[in-house]
Amino acid sequence: MADFWAAYQSTLGFAMVNAFFALSTYAVLSAGMLSFATVTFAALGGFLGAQLAVHLALPPVLVMPVSALSGALLAYVVALLFLRLDSHWMALASLALVLITRVVALNATALTGGVNGLSVPLSLPLWVLAAILAVICVVFWRLSASWYGIAARAVREDAAVAATLGIPQRRIQTIAFIISGAVGGLGGILLALMLQFLSPETYFIDIAFTMIAAVVLGGSYHWAGAIVGAVVFTALPVLLQAVVPDFEKVANGICLLLIMIFLPRGLIDPRALRLRRARKAPSR
Amino acid sequence: MMSAPMLRLEGVQKSFGGLTAVAALSLEVPAGCVAGLMGPNGAGKTTVINLITGLLRADSGVIALDGAPIQHLPVHAIAARGIARTYQNVRLFAGMTALEQVMAGSYLRRRTSLMASFLALPSARAALRMTRRRALDLLARVGMAARADELAETLSYGEQRRIEIARALGAGPRLLLLDEPTAGMNAQESEAIGRLVHTLRDDGLTVLMVEHNVRLVSDFCDQVTVMSFGRALVHGTPTACMADPEVQEAYFGRKEDAQRIRALR
Repeated sequence: MADFWAAYQSTLGFAMVNAFFALSTYAVLSAGMLSFATVTFAALGGFLGAQLAVHLALPPVLVMPVSALSGALLAYVVALLFLRLDSHWMALASLALVLITRVVALNATALTGGVNGLSVPLSLPLWVLAAILAVICVVFWRLSASWYGIAARAVREDAAVAATLGIPQRRIQTIAFIISGAVGGLGGILLALMLQFLSPETYFIDIAFTMIAAVVLGGSYHWAGAIVGAVVFTALPVLLQAVVPDFEKVANGICLLLIMIFLPRGLIDPRALRLRRARKAPSR
Repeated sequence: MMSAPMLRLEGVQKSFGGLTAVAALSLEVPAGCVAGLMGPNGAGKTTVINLITGLLRADSGVIALDGAPIQHLPVHAIAARGIARTYQNVRLFAGMTALEQVMAGSYLRRRTSLMASFLALPSARAALRMTRRRALDLLARVGMAARADELAETLSYGEQRRIEIARALGAGPRLLLLDEPTAGMNAQESEAIGRLVHTLRDDGLTVLMVEHNVRLVSDFCDQVTVMSFGRALVHGTPTACMADPEVQEAYFGRKEDAQRIRALR
């Protein structure tokens, strides 16, 4: 058991960090928007937090709120610009933002260390990471149960109908972006603390791919789906490597394909659950 | 019908490219009245509903609620002024139960802030309970109380239409716009909708409904406007409108044309 723990500790850590990125993506997706801007929020939160830790010797407890706040502020600005765009154009614009992020990370050497990278002389115990994730889970649970959650669901399903019921689409989607920014910025500094080293490549396409895959796998209709998806997507390759070392990559691809074919709405799907319950119930 | 108009359209114009969907339409709906909007397919009835709710912008003209122009307001602000609607093709939210649909419709009547609701403050929890009870009452009103926890998309078309009415009522409107509320319903179900509309009117709601069912309009509407090619053809009581030769021509065509068609056969 001790061996097992030692071997999979870092996997668990990365799974949890990825859960933050997936939740950040879910936050905008649950208000009807596909955006990759989480990568940018993470980069700002990560680099800024790392600099504060290095130069001002701030402890992680203070650094993390600053990272989350910076992500939220940036997300507010991004929302002002992006909410003028229609859905697929917003997705494209957010991809452009990811590319810009990398260029900035390469060139803003004062903040990012440029090509040399930036070492982060702080670490984070796994239980702290788990505790923060638990707090964020409570936040997402409250969001989904609140009037914000009801309104966001309506906007996502049919924005025009929601508007005719008095639900202000722009306002709801702006809030969604701010939540996404805060969680993304927090994920950014957590990743920095996990890796203890940042380079311009840290916050790039890999994160974008991971977070989208996690949300697709886990399901984008419930916040728990983002977490389940992140854990599966992070742990599956590692587990398969232990079980079928020779065919790890193939097996991984097959597993992901199977989930997508047979559970197109993800592993956690409240609607499917309800439909199943409706079918089981004695006919009226 | 002597009271001031709740809804007033004046010279409202809307074109799509070269096609004039609504041409210089003027229309008044007095408060506390059930008004019918009739006309053959393509007459511009649904366009009128979309213009009133702000989903479409009029090219020119004035749309006023209680005397105040609303045609420049964003869609959600128009709803907040007290206008709610249903759709010709039912547009319920996927994945939501009947009760959740009505709850979503009750956003304007939530009586608590988003933040208080997020923090689950006692006042917000009480408000949520009240809103839920009110939503259940509205479902009962349209005869759907027993289906409250069922996924709306699993219900029949007629049931979905009634849930959509309850959702619109959730917003607590003063003016309710119904776009073909009885489409796809049998005579009995249509009759029930008509009676529901009457009880809503008796409670002080003003209703404007687009309807094809001549019997329903005759039985339940206080006044009717018949549209054809984007214009108001006739305006008056249901009986007077149906008897109007222009209306008969718009709906059934000309007598001479009918004879010509017979001759061609």
